[in-house]
Amino acid sequence: MKKVRYLELEGKSASFNFLAALFAGMAALGAWAFFHLEHSGHADTGMNNQIVWGLPHVFAIMLIVAASGALNLASIGTVFNKGLYKPLARISAWLSISLLMGGVIVLVLDLGNPFHIDYMFTSFNETSIFAWNILLYPGFFLFTGIYLWTMMDTSKRNYYKSAGTAAFIWRLILTSGTGLIFGLLVGRIGFNAAIMAPMFIVVSFSVGLAFFIITLMATYKWSNRPLGCVLLKRLKNLLVIFIAAAFYFAVIFHLTKYYSMASQDLESWLLFGDSVHTKLLWIGQVVIGTLIPLALLLIPRVGECNTAIFSAAVLVIIGTFCQFFVTIIGTQAFPQQVIGSDYQVIASKFGDADPYHVYSPSSWEVMLGLGGLGLTFLMVLYGFKIMRFLPESLADKDLDPHAKSA
Amino acid sequence: MTQLALVIDLNVCVGCHACVTSCKEWNTSGSAGYLTDENPYEKDPTGTFFNRVQSFEIGEYPKTETVHFPKSCLHCEDPPCVPVCPTGASYKRLEDGIVLVDFDKCIGCRYCSWACPYGAREIDEQQKVMKKCTLCVDRLYDESLPESERKPACVLACPTSARLFGDVHDPESVVSVAIREEGGYALMPEWGTKPANHYLPRRKIRKPIHEDELQRADNPLNKEQRKPRAPVDEPTLDDSTSW
Repeated sequence: MKKVRYLELEGKSASFNFLAALFAGMAALGAWAFFHLEHSGHADTGMNNQIVWGLPHVFAIMLIVAASGALNLASIGTVFNKGLYKPLARISAWLSISLLMGGVIVLVLDLGNPFHIDYMFTSFNETSIFAWNILLYPGFFLFTGIYLWTMMDTSKRNYYKSAGTAAFIWRLILTSGTGLIFGLLVGRIGFNAAIMAPMFIVVSFSVGLAFFIITLMATYKWSNRPLGCVLLKRLKNLLVIFIAAAFYFAVIFHLTKYYSMASQDLESWLLFGDSVHTKLLWIGQVVIGTLIPLALLLIPRVGECNTAIFSAAVLVIIGTFCQFFVTIIGTQAFPQQVIGSDYQVIASKFGDADPYHVYSPSSWEVMLGLGGLGLTFLMVLYGFKIMRFLPESLADKDLDPHAKSA
Repeated sequence: MTQLALVIDLNVCVGCHACVTSCKEWNTSGSAGYLTDENPYEKDPTGTFFNRVQSFEIGEYPKTETVHFPKSCLHCEDPPCVPVCPTGASYKRLEDGIVLVDFDKCIGCRYCSWACPYGAREIDEQQKVMKKCTLCVDRLYDESLPESERKPACVLACPTSARLFGDVHDPESVVSVAIREEGGYALMPEWGTKPANHYLPRRKIRKPIHEDELQRADNPLNKEQRKPRAPVDEPTLDDSTSW
């Protein structure tokens, strides 16, 4: 395999400026939404006492989960010695840092009191998985940052493998922690399941790879750099496996919850009800996020097409978004059965007598979520412009699909 | 260890919301206040309430009945909202078992709301911190109040005395006696949270009455002759005086 040469983006084209303006605009919208909500309070969101995590948390958790998955490509090269993926490691690491930054910013800005975030460290509660997660994020930045440094600084090559392995282990812990935010919720019938941790890891594989594929293909297309079929085919095959695995975990999760009498009412409502969550689960997660991408990638000749791979990646992200929407908001929308499921609230002076709680996200919440996405890709864009993250060529002739990592 | 708690008698609660309004009145101007109200006089008012009354319909027609169900923090002995709080803002007092939130330490992550199986947590829309029933802790130890008033505002306000207050760990307290003798139960014990607040169930009062109970055993008329009745065709006093 040829020695890989990394080059910055020139960053002077009209398309670069357009994308930079677009992502900066999205980030600015997010900042505007944050300051507005900080001033006016949660009354301007769709959240209430029953649905306390809304759309911004869906964005945040998807980006955080995708961040650890996006690092997968680097780990395959470094930890598992697959040389073909080694040139992708810098892109993978920077994308994962950017995704995590976007997700964590949305998460923090959606807190009621983000300016008290220092209490997480000064008054750390070691029994809280939420508190541990707040430690895991800076750890991810640190480990992935060091990993990226050892990749780019030839004098630190001796530490490259160790740094990559540490980042890989940390990302598994991070995503387990994200899953356990829900898995350790003993008071919610929809969760309290150990499967949440591995399920989040597998979902991170698929959505992280989808973000990676979109970033890679768009960057190489717009910067007119060659991107070979061999690499794309490998990524495509990986995506197929990850989509199938994520779907398998989702099926097992819903099946076991449906089987349990304690959670059967909730699962029946999610799976067979008439709410928006049922539609998002079946149409969004299953059809758009799983079946269509699998068809696009597996049907002969269609799957060879770059457009199909790109489209499949976009659909996986949409499907994962729907999955998290149902996981986070759907389970809150189902009323807690305080005095037994046979009894129904018929009247309440507080507007909480509905069969299930309705959540309509406000435009401020949409803006805050999109702000995180904009910040992520603004970081990606300027990272590629400033740093040498992008191989000059990923053409087939420049890559050896059977190469072992050095 | 003392564990202060409420015992709410669902049999006599009439859903008048006096507990709700007195709670709001006391706490919005107390140390836990203010309690935000959004659009209080508009179409969709929302607000922060430490105590809410929901009405449930139970049974099937025609044998239905309405149960008014006051709901507030149950001050669990093993509260799931406390260990999940990332900053330790939610805490349980050792001296009296009351679960409280330190607003200054609360970052508004709302994770405690996820953890509470009873939905008793309240997000204050303005202050954006989690709030909940304090059992009027600022009344309980206020020596400027007469001792009889050192109770939660809701207990003092209840017109049917449906709310009792005391130490559930003291077997002779009014709440322990009520729980023991009137079938008091905790909500959803399967969660293992050991709620301190208890509810007394709806109770049907049925007294079997035998036929002989309807007969007066010491009726003197059984021994004496009954008063003779005048023949129907004779004029009555009214008839004789009507002219």
